[in-house]
Amino acid sequence: MSTTPRATDSAPEPAPVTGGLSQKGLSAGTVGLIGAVVIGISCIAPAYTLTAALGPTVSEVGFQVPAIILIGFIPMLLVAFGYRELNRSMPDSGTSFTWAARAFGPWVGWMAGWGLIAATILVLSNLAGIAVEFLFLLIDQIAGSPGTIAELAFNPFINVAVCLLFMLGATLISYRDMQTTQKLQYVLVTFQVLVLVIFSVAAFVHVAQGNAFDASPVELSWFNPFAVGSFTAVVAGLSLSIFIFWGWDVTLTMNEETKNPEKTPGRAATLTVITIVVLYLLISVSLLAFAGIGTEGLGLGNEDIQANVFFFLSGPILGPLAFLVSLAVLTSSASSLQSTFVSPARTLLAMGHYGALPSQFAKVSPRFFTPGYATIVSAIVASVFYAIMRFVNENVLWDTITTLGMMICFYYGLTAFACVWYFRRQWFDSMRNIFFTLLFPLVGGIILAALFVITLVESMDPDYGSGTEWFGLGSVFVLGVGIIGLGIIIMIWQAIKRPSFFRGETLSMDAPPSLRRR
Amino acid sequence: MSGAIVVGYTATDAGADAAALGARMARSLGARLHLVIVLPSEGTRSAAVPPERAYEDVIRAQGKKWLAEAMTHLPQELTRSGHVRLGESFAEGLIAAGEEFGARLIVVGAAEGAGFGRHRLGGVASALVHSSPIPVALAPAGTAQETVDVVPRITAALGTRTGADVLLDEAVAMTTDSGTSLRLVSLVPFDVPPGLDTGAIRVVAGGHADEVLATAKNALPDDVEVSAEQAPGDSVEDAVTHLSWLPGEVVLVGSSRLAQPRRLFLGSTAAKMLRVLPVPMIVVPRTRTGAQVEGDLT
Repeated sequence: MSTTPRATDSAPEPAPVTGGLSQKGLSAGTVGLIGAVVIGISCIAPAYTLTAALGPTVSEVGFQVPAIILIGFIPMLLVAFGYRELNRSMPDSGTSFTWAARAFGPWVGWMAGWGLIAATILVLSNLAGIAVEFLFLLIDQIAGSPGTIAELAFNPFINVAVCLLFMLGATLISYRDMQTTQKLQYVLVTFQVLVLVIFSVAAFVHVAQGNAFDASPVELSWFNPFAVGSFTAVVAGLSLSIFIFWGWDVTLTMNEETKNPEKTPGRAATLTVITIVVLYLLISVSLLAFAGIGTEGLGLGNEDIQANVFFFLSGPILGPLAFLVSLAVLTSSASSLQSTFVSPARTLLAMGHYGALPSQFAKVSPRFFTPGYATIVSAIVASVFYAIMRFVNENVLWDTITTLGMMICFYYGLTAFACVWYFRRQWFDSMRNIFFTLLFPLVGGIILAALFVITLVESMDPDYGSGTEWFGLGSVFVLGVGIIGLGIIIMIWQAIKRPSFFRGETLSMDAPPSLRRR
Repeated sequence: MSGAIVVGYTATDAGADAAALGARMARSLGARLHLVIVLPSEGTRSAAVPPERAYEDVIRAQGKKWLAEAMTHLPQELTRSGHVRLGESFAEGLIAAGEEFGARLIVVGAAEGAGFGRHRLGGVASALVHSSPIPVALAPAGTAQETVDVVPRITAALGTRTGADVLLDEAVAMTTDSGTSLRLVSLVPFDVPPGLDTGAIRVVAGGHADEVLATAKNALPDDVEVSAEQAPGDSVEDAVTHLSWLPGEVVLVGSSRLAQPRRLFLGSTAAKMLRVLPVPMIVVPRTRTGAQVEGDLT
């Protein structure tokens, strides 16, 4: 951890240990432009993201999904600028946790770390859930048994069992840091993008030929957020659309890892976001045109299909080629599972390292050099969470996505404010700083904070989202408050057990001084 | 000081075995010992995971800590140092380190799950014995618990094919440097065509063993003790179990004909030996470093 090395472990070294570097040295990164774009798209996993988020977004904003996608990108972009500044100034594998602790102190830092971990654990369980459904669908499509095998995915016992196996596989892959080649990633990402394009073109063809399910002519109003009519619906839609861009920021935060740190990250981020936005617009417009937003059958407003729309639409749109969509979603979830596992594990490792959690979390596997303990704990928590949710809540996928959007707003918002506060003495060093360390992250943070609060308040209504009611409240509210409440309880418990982190002894608050000459 | 030895170290039992064997070899040969940990550059070997320098820093610091700890457990009189290296794969990083330090030997431990005193090729060891240009020593599980300080004897398992020459040279060099005795074991019976009757095998084998013994004796200083033994047995495994082994001795084997020039390739006979061998094995290349590829006439 580069920011505050701990002063312990000062045992005299009997002989020199060199940290050196191979002939290649440290200077040059390994990631080129295309590589960075591929990593970006692979982390976003558009095939998985869309199938999970499209339905819930339609239920909030109807035909205006394209508009929401377009404006949902704005807070993401603003916050990502803040991320980039923080990452440049204090690169640390604890990311949000470390940065928030440096800016606002241990308590806020702890909660930001908790938010990140909770969000990634939610997405892990949702990813595995979606993957299981598509696994069964794929087998069904290949075996040519329309519906009978796919139906098995909805038996909670089979579903949970297969999901746990899936999680186990992903855990092993992450724990062992299984070597995969860049070539394989290129192939997977290209395949994913191609299938999505084919999928939407086929949907348009059906519309043109007049055999779409509920042909709806594309209108300009689909791109107009003001056409939604209700402010709260826009907010709910936005909090979902935050999720669809989640992961994009890695392209911006890869700096010294790239071959040309001056240019590659910016270009890669731009290229990635253009690809993603075009893809999202294409898919959402084509599916809206094909299926409409009716609440019956294949209509995107049908609650029975909203948690996983590709699952239901791929067959009617692509016919015999529908298995391609299943394959694309499966591969995209699988590779996204691995990259997703990394972030809670590394944050937990950093928290263990600085004494915010038990020191086992700081353990690095001596064989695979991964945060072994933290990886396994994340996997167990995600599995248990999914298993329980699957039994107590049939709308588990939908609710996890909505809660996830809220949690992302929570910790991204905190991180954005951390950026603003951390750089407070440097705001006016340059015109660039005014924008990148003050205005952009501040506006982004405010938007996310507002989304978080409004979503939280709205979700108290039992009709919110999937309409699942717990204790007379919306399930999303219960989940969100439960997660944050649990975080506070564990934080207080840790503060009693290991007070030194909470006294700021291991990770101190800081604000770099202005670089201007006085 | 005669050369350098690179140990592929991890903070595991297998790593401790490799370090123990490395120390034993270094002491015997009077070589410098380098413990090397090879970390994934930018924190991961998976192209699906975004590269992160900050995480690389974490594991680099951890790697240094492991090395410092390991070195306190090594014999203090050895000239030794620890190095963290970054590489796409552990094997690749070790070979690069071996070349950097001009190592005469790379030492690695057994894979997880090997029984006590037994060999088991892990991914790294397997990659090394099929591609390294530097001889590779395999430490059986439990080497770290042994109390042998120096190599008591060097055994070379010889065949008739090209490669045996290099093997013999290497065995002679190691024997000279370590001042121990050399035992030549003839693996001829397994190189003759199947169907040849046992009497003929014995004659051929005996003749071959005598021939090799003579060559080896010429190369050795007069005061070095050299002996030749024929391995009796129906199979390679059988023969190896019937041979007597001193605790801590090492056995040298050559590379298969499938090897690239000057590179290792574990042959099938050596792989069979490995299944039952209770002592460390060193695999040497088939052709000499710097030498032209010899005509493969046999």
